[in-house]
Amino acid sequence: MTESIDPILVTVIQHRLKAITEEMGLVMLRTARSPILSEARDFVTGLYDARGELMEQTAYIPILAFAVPLSIKYMVEYYGDELYPGDVIIHNDPYTGGNQPADVKIVRPIFVDGQLVGFSAINGHQADVGGAVAGAYNPGATEIWQESLRITPVKLYEKGVKRRDVWDLIFGNIRFPIVEEDIQAAMGGCAVGERELIKLVERHGHDRFRAHLEHLYDATEQQMRAEISAMPDGVYHGESTAYYDGINPGTEMDIKVAVTIAGDEINFDFTGTAPQTPGFVNAPLGSSMTSVILSLLMCLKDPDLPQNEGMSRPIKMHMPLGSMVNPEFPAASTFGNHLSDQISAAIFNAMADAVPDRVTAPWNPLFAIAAIGFNERINQPFVDILFNGLKGGGGAMQGVNGYDHIGLIACGGGLLAQDPEMFEMKDPLFIHSFEYKADSAGAGQWRGGLGVEMKMEFLGDGNMISAFGDGIDPGSEAGGLNGGGAGTLNQGELLYADGNTHVCASKEMVVGIPKGTVWHQIAGGGGGYGDPFKRPAEEVAREVFYGLISPQAAEGDYGVVVDPESMALDGPKTEALRASHAG
Amino acid sequence: MFRIGVDVGGTFTDFLLFDGQGEASVFKTPSTPADPSIGVLNGFRQMADKAGLSLEDFTAQVELIVHGTTVATNAVLTSSGVKTGLITTEGFRDILEMRRGFREKAYDNKLTPPEPLIPRNLRLGVKERITIDGEIDIALDEQSLNEAIDSLAQENLESVVVCFMHSYANMAHEQAAKRIIEEKMPDAFLTISSELLPQARLYERVSTAALNCYVGPVLRKYLSFLSAALDENGFAGVLLIMQSNGGVATPQSMAQTPVMTLLSGPAGGPVAGISFAKVQGHNQCITIDMGGTSFDAALIQNGEPLLRSEGWINRQRLALPMLDIHTIGSGGGSIGWIDDGGLLRMGPESAGADPGPACYGKGGDRPTCTDANLVLGYLNPDYFLGGDMGLNLEAARNAIEKHIATPMGLSIEAAAAGMSNIMNVDMAAGLREISVRRGVDPREYPLIVAGGAGPIHGAMIALEMEIPLVLVPRDSSIFCAGGMLRSDLKHSYVRTYYALTSRADQALMLNYLDDMEAEGRRVLKGEKVDDESRLRMIHAADIRYLGQHNEITVDFDLADFKQRGVELLGELFHAAHDRLYGYSLKDSGTEMEIVNLRLTALGITQKPDVAKMALGEADASASLKGSRQVYIPGEQAFSDIPVYDGDTLVYGNRASGPAIIEQVTTTTFVPPEYDFIVDTAGTFSLYLRQSGDNYVKKILP
Repeated sequence: MTESIDPILVTVIQHRLKAITEEMGLVMLRTARSPILSEARDFVTGLYDARGELMEQTAYIPILAFAVPLSIKYMVEYYGDELYPGDVIIHNDPYTGGNQPADVKIVRPIFVDGQLVGFSAINGHQADVGGAVAGAYNPGATEIWQESLRITPVKLYEKGVKRRDVWDLIFGNIRFPIVEEDIQAAMGGCAVGERELIKLVERHGHDRFRAHLEHLYDATEQQMRAEISAMPDGVYHGESTAYYDGINPGTEMDIKVAVTIAGDEINFDFTGTAPQTPGFVNAPLGSSMTSVILSLLMCLKDPDLPQNEGMSRPIKMHMPLGSMVNPEFPAASTFGNHLSDQISAAIFNAMADAVPDRVTAPWNPLFAIAAIGFNERINQPFVDILFNGLKGGGGAMQGVNGYDHIGLIACGGGLLAQDPEMFEMKDPLFIHSFEYKADSAGAGQWRGGLGVEMKMEFLGDGNMISAFGDGIDPGSEAGGLNGGGAGTLNQGELLYADGNTHVCASKEMVVGIPKGTVWHQIAGGGGGYGDPFKRPAEEVAREVFYGLISPQAAEGDYGVVVDPESMALDGPKTEALRASHAG
Repeated sequence: MFRIGVDVGGTFTDFLLFDGQGEASVFKTPSTPADPSIGVLNGFRQMADKAGLSLEDFTAQVELIVHGTTVATNAVLTSSGVKTGLITTEGFRDILEMRRGFREKAYDNKLTPPEPLIPRNLRLGVKERITIDGEIDIALDEQSLNEAIDSLAQENLESVVVCFMHSYANMAHEQAAKRIIEEKMPDAFLTISSELLPQARLYERVSTAALNCYVGPVLRKYLSFLSAALDENGFAGVLLIMQSNGGVATPQSMAQTPVMTLLSGPAGGPVAGISFAKVQGHNQCITIDMGGTSFDAALIQNGEPLLRSEGWINRQRLALPMLDIHTIGSGGGSIGWIDDGGLLRMGPESAGADPGPACYGKGGDRPTCTDANLVLGYLNPDYFLGGDMGLNLEAARNAIEKHIATPMGLSIEAAAAGMSNIMNVDMAAGLREISVRRGVDPREYPLIVAGGAGPIHGAMIALEMEIPLVLVPRDSSIFCAGGMLRSDLKHSYVRTYYALTSRADQALMLNYLDDMEAEGRRVLKGEKVDDESRLRMIHAADIRYLGQHNEITVDFDLADFKQRGVELLGELFHAAHDRLYGYSLKDSGTEMEIVNLRLTALGITQKPDVAKMALGEADASASLKGSRQVYIPGEQAFSDIPVYDGDTLVYGNRASGPAIIEQVTTTTFVPPEYDFIVDTAGTFSLYLRQSGDNYVKKILP
């Protein structure tokens, strides 16, 4: 018998599902110990149906948001009828739906009256997952086993009973005890998801719940189709370039995408994208798919639509197997999440012809280091990713300046820089300075977001850094759009106490860094949008006054002349300069 | 003698007047945003008239005024604070504007950062540096300090912030800067970050200090206007100001910490709520307050509203102890609409007070929650504000039909029911959030309901959460003003003391605690709290497991601590962690870090008694004023249900739901699952029928 649909109940169920995933997130935020989870909020909580399709999620970081169904579908197939109430599954394998190996999933199957009704899952970035380098960023890796312990789906608990042997095997291969506790935090969050979903299904009955869930998917699908229909039909081509595969200096890899908008469907075809690289600069399918969806969401009129399986139905993707956006086993792929910078740049580049008022110029591509060493204050090893120094500027769009110091596009401004005092309290590192970088933003009628400059000193001996990212090689900066200028490049260098300097490549490990060494990093700005000479002269002058644009750049990039004494706008000279430029 | 609670809101200024006999009466005047003291005086005139006294005679008899003000809040919300400068550590001048690089909406590329409270040219770095241990790494460079101050002195500033890295660990450099600024800019409102908030986290500290300066002169000016106006009329009593932490303070102590009023608007609510719960012997409750544009929820445990140590206002960070009030954008004005997928959504857009809901007939044509409540019969079109304002049922029906019912293929009534239901689900999620955050089961907490629209939805939200008891205080519409009169003088202090518990120095910690207590005593003494029996000190520490980011604030007993030392704190922390999150790491030997020490100094005020009603009969039929068709959610149908005149119901009266209790200012809906009884304070107490008999026995003498 078919259930009659109460359209109000559909919304009610959607709101309840959302509230459950938020509650799971709250548990995680309050209990996780690693700063990557508790402070940078690098995780997603979600509920999935019995097929593994997304019911609803709360993503603090977009890049983790849309890859989870891929691996849960794999688990549904892999376990078949060997899933039981009280099971807890752990997983990180990029080749069965994972993001990067450090993103570890905890999954609980959920049963009502003996019937599988869905899964609760938390996918979070763990401080370590074994492998050659703490934190898993091994720029020298050429295969997955050099990156991390590869965890295909395995049960930590079965029917509510802890599998001590499996537990000990896994955590015996992970460096930091904190990971064990953070996994417990994720298990706690999933248990809350399970409890609440059971209540929800029981309240409405299995069939009624299912029927209304399907209707919710359909409604969201319809909403997404309406968004796509409003975009002009056509085939739009875009591309971008990633630099340096971590193995062969000077390499450049193109990402190509053909976006086809046909009626209410959209297709992203990455045919022509560079083949997979020998190093770790490869994006597993899950990371690539998520990059596509987050880029598309940013192009929508209303990005607040419910996040469920219906949303992805009108979206088709083709990522050729063996390409950099869908590498073949056993390629290394820890860098994968960060190719979202280039994937979204390629997509915006294509979509600029379709919806010019909804895309931004490219964002500053990520360049990060993980600092690793020993903290004598607390007599423990430390590893921390320097979120503060890595957050460059966002790309500008029509009518809107790029967001300052927002960081990589894959996080959409949800990844926070560490507070300077807390940072010094936690790590044996000392910040000398940390400010906006003048002239870093791409010029434009709307300028790119500002980048930052940081100088930070190692207080202990025997440190290492693992640098990973892009935007270092000439040409790899965030470009401008529609006449806008490019943001500046990223830079990172070690200034040793003995006067020596080492300039870092975009992927590199440096070991044996002694006490007193200063890490100097500049995160570049975002790309500008539109002709800089059309930017209101008063706004340019104001930013010169604020010290964010130099008088030289104001004149050269914007045609704006500022009196060097008063720092006030020189109207006549500006008019003359701008007029000569127009002529 | 009179006592008055004054709550200056955006639209109305509410007054709650207690006379010498403890009788309460309610007054309302339109707010006067340009100079809110005018609206306050207008209210005084009204109250004087009612008492048959001249303004001067009335004012002279007022012994206490507790004042909630949004003057500072509005200055932040409308970006109309004063021109402020910042002196900070060289290399860190942008921390305030960077906001840690946070964008609130991940996919919204049109969202731009807020304007900084202090523009970059007025944020100056000077050479100096202190380490986490309070050691001086770079001595304060007097020349660079003097240059920075001289340059600010030419800028016509009204206020200046001084905030150096790790100044909480060593205040010397900030004190040196203070001396020079006081000398060179004697008229500036000055905030020294380590005096305001000696606590680690530079962004939180600089932002809080900047907010303090940004609103300081504004609030100071207002308070001097108000004091002058009151003095002119012969006021000889005590004026107290409501703070965000749920306590009150004198204008003199507020003048240094105006930032403490920023989130004080809803702060009276929880205090009022617990006073009504206590009448029935409850020491814990959840309060909700649903107004036109927002819904506030708060949790009260052990008789005290819970605090949190940080929040946001207009996208600026504020880190001072404030009541933990969870606000969501659901109110009577929330607009219903259909998304592209054909699903009904409520809000976040609100019709506000102008044009307001369609039924106000002021030009609004989009359907709101209030319109739905009218269509569903919860509201009486002829008795809104006691009949002072007619509601246009036809306009409400038309708006719902056009925007919701027709597009969804539903009847107008079904559409309205859907709107109401979705509001209830969202508000229930807000309640779940505050209870989950504190690791409590909301079913063990009576729900105290306030706000114009609250009592319609209160029991439906409770049903959603399986909460068995809902209390609707009789004057629920001016709840906050009532809470203010019951608030204690309260001053919160914090000192960062960072140490692993295994290495903590108890003597040093005691020094910090003594230091804070001395400060609290000094301030309270200035507020005329001389009697030792009225003083209360609450000691607490912020602790976390090594590596965690979030601390838990653990209250402890000072005598216990002196005896048992840091071990006591560890034990309390493990237990609190277990209670909040379901586990502790007591057995794994994980180290703990102490981050801050806190002290709350309370000066206990004399509270007006809750007026006790004489016991009436069980039968409520004397107040029965008729019946009307009202939508019953559980049955998904309308039913003719009794309507009681809430203003004539007395202690002991009881009746079964479904029912409507109508008052001049509020309407309470009692769903069929609940019965109600009036308690000795006149509170309408709605209880799930199955638990009824025992409960009723408790209420009756």
